[in-house]
Amino acid sequence: MCEMKISALCSFLVLLVAAATAMAGTVQSTNPNNGLSNWQSADTPFSLQLLQLMPDNVRAVYSNKGFPPALVEEMAGYCMFGSVIRNLADEPVSYDVADWRAITADGVRHPLRTKTEWLKIWQSQGVDFGWSILPAAQTLEVGDWGQGFTTVKLPHGTRFDLDYSWRQHGKTFHAILEGLQCAPEQLPVPPRKP
Amino acid sequence: MAPVKPPRPAPDFSLPDVDGKIHTLSDYSGKVVMLNFWATWCPPCRRELPSMEQLYLDLKGKPFQVLACDQQEDGDTVFAFTGQLDPAPSFPVLLDSKRAVSRAYGVPGLPTTFLIDKTGQIAYRAVGGREFGHPAIRALIEELMAA
Repeated sequence: MCEMKISALCSFLVLLVAAATAMAGTVQSTNPNNGLSNWQSADTPFSLQLLQLMPDNVRAVYSNKGFPPALVEEMAGYCMFGSVIRNLADEPVSYDVADWRAITADGVRHPLRTKTEWLKIWQSQGVDFGWSILPAAQTLEVGDWGQGFTTVKLPHGTRFDLDYSWRQHGKTFHAILEGLQCAPEQLPVPPRKP
Repeated sequence: MAPVKPPRPAPDFSLPDVDGKIHTLSDYSGKVVMLNFWATWCPPCRRELPSMEQLYLDLKGKPFQVLACDQQEDGDTVFAFTGQLDPAPSFPVLLDSKRAVSRAYGVPGLPTTFLIDKTGQIAYRAVGGREFGHPAIRALIEELMAA
């Protein structure tokens, strides 16, 4: 009986260590002013940071650019993040958002909607604006960085992990940004102080 | 900034500045041109403009020219924004209203900056904001001016 308890304890500890190791690739923080979260990759030469973007922020950005109201609403219905990418390596890195997947709790791997796909939709509705979404694919030279919105068709508040990848010296690397959550429809209520 | 290998010809263009004056890239032949693509709504673009202005002032009288190419905004928006900057840009701020020039240069995102040598070849490119007072960038420009 005692051996069984020790065995179970060891299994639990192994699981705990495994979970901690997996989580080591993601640093999460919350903006105390608005309760919105952001996630940053850690220890990867291709750095990725995602910041929750409220649907009202999305509406404001694209309404201001003169997008048709229906298109603005379609975009506000997407799970969107502000994203910052950086080449921290001492050689070029390249990426293709079409290869990235949002993995929800049910195990489904959701493709992201890329800038290339958005531009086709925008152009079909008479919008010629060419910016704001993270470039779909590019090579970042040493010191290069960029930013733009990352989008995936998931309901607001959905939790998921992001499997993202990049290429460096001819090899493809994968990393997981864990515990992401689409921004809620409304701003999170800051916790009350006791 | 990363070297463009091999250097390729910089597509020529003509664009109006915020005062309506037309600027043609090939008119600056014989000078090193820093061609910057930006927009007023882009935070890193806004951050790097003062250091670009300082660089421009520092190299006044040398064969060096800065051209800042705003993307898809009207002149009033750009003028109102640049008027708030201290120092305000004294280099030409051009209006690429249909993003024809950024397309020709294959600009992936904003800001992106190119260094064009005196013979009109794209020599260096930087994707993302930079501090243009950095000695390494200054050295690249000096090297291109001396070539």
